[in-house]
Amino acid sequence: MGAFIIRRLLSTLLVMGLVGVFIFLLLHLSPGDPAAIIAGDNATPAQIEAIRTSLGLNDPLHVQFGRWAMRVLSGDLGISIFSNVPVATLIAQRVWPTLSLAFTTIVLAVTLALAAGVLAAWKAGSLADRLVMILSVVGFSVPVFVVGYLLIYVFAISLRWLPVQGYSPLAEGFWPWASHLILPSTALGLAYVALIARITRTAMLDVLAEDYMRTARAKGVATGPMLFKHALKSAGVPIVTVVGIGIALLIGGVVITETVFNLPGIGRLVVDAISKRDYPIIQGVILLFSGVYVIINLLVDLSYTLLDPRIRY
Amino acid sequence: MTRRATTSRRSFLKTGLAASAAVAAPGRLTAQSAPGATKTIRAVMHGDLTVLDPIWTTANMSAYHGAMLYDTLFGIDANLDTKPQMVSKWGASDDKKTWTFELRDGLKFSDGSAVTSDDVIASLRRWAARDGAGQHMMQRVADIAKKDDKTFQFVLKEPYGYLVDALGKTSTPLCYIMRKKEAETNPMEKITAYVGSGPFLFNEAETRQGVRYVYDRNPNYLPRSEPASGLAGGKVAKVDRVIFENMADSQTALAALQAGEIDFYETPPIDLIGQLEGDSNLTLEVLNKTGNIGWLRMNFLHPPFNNVDARRAMLYLLDQEDFMKATFGNPKFYKKCPSNFGCGVPMENDANTGWFKEAPSQAKAKEYLQKSGYKGEPIVLMQATNIDFMRNAADLVAGALRSIGANVQVASSDWGGVVNRRAVKAPPEQGGWNLFITWADGNAVSNPIALAGHAATGEKAWFGWPSDGKNEELRDKWAVAGSLQEKQQIARELQENAWNFVPHVWLGQWVAPTARRKNLTGMLAVPGVVPFWNAQKA
Amino acid sequence: MTVAAAELARVPPRSGLWHFVRRNPTLVGGLVVLALIALAALIAPLIAGDPIAAKPVNRLRPPSQINWLGTDQLGRDVWARTVYGARISLLVGLSVATIAMSIGLLIGLLAGFSRTVESVVMRLMDGLMAIPAILLAIAFVSLSKASVSIVVAAIALPEIPRVVRLVRSVVLTVREQPFIEAAVASGTRLPKILRRHILPATVPPLIVQATYVAASAILIEAALSFLGAGTPPEVPTWGNMIASSRVYLGLAPWTIFGPGIALALVVLAVNLVGDGLRDRLDPRIARRM
Repeated sequence: MGAFIIRRLLSTLLVMGLVGVFIFLLLHLSPGDPAAIIAGDNATPAQIEAIRTSLGLNDPLHVQFGRWAMRVLSGDLGISIFSNVPVATLIAQRVWPTLSLAFTTIVLAVTLALAAGVLAAWKAGSLADRLVMILSVVGFSVPVFVVGYLLIYVFAISLRWLPVQGYSPLAEGFWPWASHLILPSTALGLAYVALIARITRTAMLDVLAEDYMRTARAKGVATGPMLFKHALKSAGVPIVTVVGIGIALLIGGVVITETVFNLPGIGRLVVDAISKRDYPIIQGVILLFSGVYVIINLLVDLSYTLLDPRIRY
Repeated sequence: MTRRATTSRRSFLKTGLAASAAVAAPGRLTAQSAPGATKTIRAVMHGDLTVLDPIWTTANMSAYHGAMLYDTLFGIDANLDTKPQMVSKWGASDDKKTWTFELRDGLKFSDGSAVTSDDVIASLRRWAARDGAGQHMMQRVADIAKKDDKTFQFVLKEPYGYLVDALGKTSTPLCYIMRKKEAETNPMEKITAYVGSGPFLFNEAETRQGVRYVYDRNPNYLPRSEPASGLAGGKVAKVDRVIFENMADSQTALAALQAGEIDFYETPPIDLIGQLEGDSNLTLEVLNKTGNIGWLRMNFLHPPFNNVDARRAMLYLLDQEDFMKATFGNPKFYKKCPSNFGCGVPMENDANTGWFKEAPSQAKAKEYLQKSGYKGEPIVLMQATNIDFMRNAADLVAGALRSIGANVQVASSDWGGVVNRRAVKAPPEQGGWNLFITWADGNAVSNPIALAGHAATGEKAWFGWPSDGKNEELRDKWAVAGSLQEKQQIARELQENAWNFVPHVWLGQWVAPTARRKNLTGMLAVPGVVPFWNAQKA
Repeated sequence: MTVAAAELARVPPRSGLWHFVRRNPTLVGGLVVLALIALAALIAPLIAGDPIAAKPVNRLRPPSQINWLGTDQLGRDVWARTVYGARISLLVGLSVATIAMSIGLLIGLLAGFSRTVESVVMRLMDGLMAIPAILLAIAFVSLSKASVSIVVAAIALPEIPRVVRLVRSVVLTVREQPFIEAAVASGTRLPKILRRHILPATVPPLIVQATYVAASAILIEAALSFLGAGTPPEVPTWGNMIASSRVYLGLAPWTIFGPGIALALVVLAVNLVGDGLRDRLDPRIARRM
């Protein structure tokens, strides 16, 4: 098991390296760069070239990559070309809204989805089952920003129950923090409810059909605790897999939700950076997100050993 | 020479510590240190403040930022007249070649140091290095000399009537006065310290790039005694804090305004004005009465628009009404304008506007296009997809050109992509372009010198690179002209010539009302800048 | 009753279309909706007007006799744009699915058969999968110029690693089967083994995966347009129609309902088809039905 973890960590480092190369190549092989944007409206071509050189953009690619890689390995993610603020500082300033959003979305989505999936599996084949599945797929089919606008219109403008936009740090009170996150989490979470509910249902159906479940029922064990304790634990592996995938997808969905609800998170940071071609921010954030994804995958794999004793590394 | 921090263990520790410190104390200061709600204005402006050096860039947001922190030698008032601001008295010699200026008493930078001629002269040089009007002026300047700490002189090679107006113009970049230290930064690089002598202080600690920019009242600012008017008069800050919130989504900003989460929204989508008109807590007001003018730039370097007939074809082809209606809907807020210097301004005139009476005329446009020898080569039209006016306008231009049989290739990208590509002088099929769309401030357009786009100096001109010797002769004449009547006469001649060689095509003029909560009063109306002194919340 | 008798007493499944429909409602429902929309897209010129002609003077007209779904902010007919938009949106979904599946299949097969290829390729795929798909897509589109093919490539690229993993795991499973060993021992050549045994095993899960990829591609195209990194606005797609009209949600909701409902319907239909196919093709679930 220890050897497994070490092997996986080494593999993680390799993967991160690959990610770094991918992103670097994508940015630097594309036409255009930040020089013209930085130079401003009245710049001459000579001025734009001068800026390009001062940013090191005219150096050969491998030199530029080596420079950036060395920096990253010593912990320096570089400085934003536009704002002169270190990328690490920018990320640190904006990580809480993204984390908060991700957390509340997962809590919301997983709760709803597990409940829906278990219900659907328990009443397999009935109208309730069909309805739950269709409704959850509908949630998966409408773009997040449309759902977001509708929610804002209904709950924030018409009913005035919740704020329209913005983020309130937890330090300034639990309810302000939570109330700013309810609508975004709902908009974002709807898609994942579908995904997780369906997998839950399938996994639960498999488990419910197993012999040992029928035996338990025959022995007269009460249905409630039986359902949740035995079934959920066995179905844990596929469910956790999907939650892991869901978290990866979340990183993508966060980008749109942060724009619609004006949350000052990392998703917006990187989208703004892309439109300005602020390379250090783009590279730094994508590296960060990839790292998070890879580590979560590792944790998901490790959690299998807890949920299913048959799985050993 | 790169501007990066050096790599080392130290920088890792620094960034690591800085990161953990920022992470440990997320968000804002506690309630005790922030001013109360009635003393804070939360404003959403038209874009994000990406560059904090208002001399280095022509971006309007940077000009707004500059107006908070810095002061100017002169400023225009609500009637667009240039009035002294940092200057107490000034005068010219009899031969009009030596101008002497004296600074007001009590002007101080936020670090406590007094504003002296050294600071002013350094600032002027840096500004002139970046600004078109400044460059035009400096060609006629022999020297800017210091007489004493409060007095400085412009020594000119020949009389230049535009001097004082240039110092007070609101077309970007404005001539903000900085400390000598910052002003001596290489004009090709950006300043890194933000110390000004203006009515507000920049609160760097609470500012979050891309999220919010915080300004606190400068308790040591000494305003003039006259009432505030435009950028002239006494700049009295009546609130303790102003926050520029960056909200990319207009729906969200509008909803926030309606819910009272923000106080001021600079650019509500005009189609949604109706929704705001019904809300009794909100007021609409046009602060920039000369508005903006839609601008189609053509590439003079490559066919077909290197031929004047092809450019003339565009004058006859496009209907300004379409462009305005498509994005702004309500005719109350826009009008068609044939004047090369915009409408509703002193330089407006009707010279050589016969084409305007006929446009749109597909027949005439087709005729001119054929006359130019156009054989059906692809016309590369750049389209910025993330800015409504530009996106709609490009669709309309493409449709209009196709209706007269032209072959149009629309190159869509975000605005950053357009900015990158418009700087390319290569032929369109090798990464260049033929047409792109933007807009300009109405007041800036009204000035043949202040607007870089009015220069027709060929390859040294603004993107599009128009070339016409007569245009340049007349511009020089305009700059040295003394009286308003003289200037207006020369403007007529400029326009007569302009609509002959067609440097660009206007797409219509519009004003954009700002929206604010009723309890926010005292917003000053001036083009080019949205000042926040004089504003207060009840 | 004995088990055998019970077996005999079971009513054998009847053949015929009606019974197929009864047993696979989701699959059929999805297919019908998709077929209708695809048909509409094909005969677009017959049932809709000009989607591109802009007449600002007619802007934001509510649905009427002339404009079934009203007009948008440039005066273009929303019904025409929705119908023509089906072409691009369906094309995007189909292309992304096809490209991702084909490239993924190829790489997955190679990885399944060659250890060296596998170690290199799987690391590359891991790296690619680690980058958030939408960020990769935005960067790809923003840094090139916007066109339908670029958008398709940008959406397909992040989907490839998952397909590769799927194919590889199928190949690995099938390779272990005794009849493969037997085939190899009796001298059957590789291409025949591939054709006879490997490929047929990969096809069912690939098809199911393809449907989900197609559905998500259509949604991602909408998201990219929302963020300003989508298909060129000239060409109507449901994504960029919704994105450019979003300001009018309250003022002129028809500009969003047309493409919005069409989008939701197609994505729903494709997902239902995927579900139906998976239920049919997965032996465990099929048995239960």
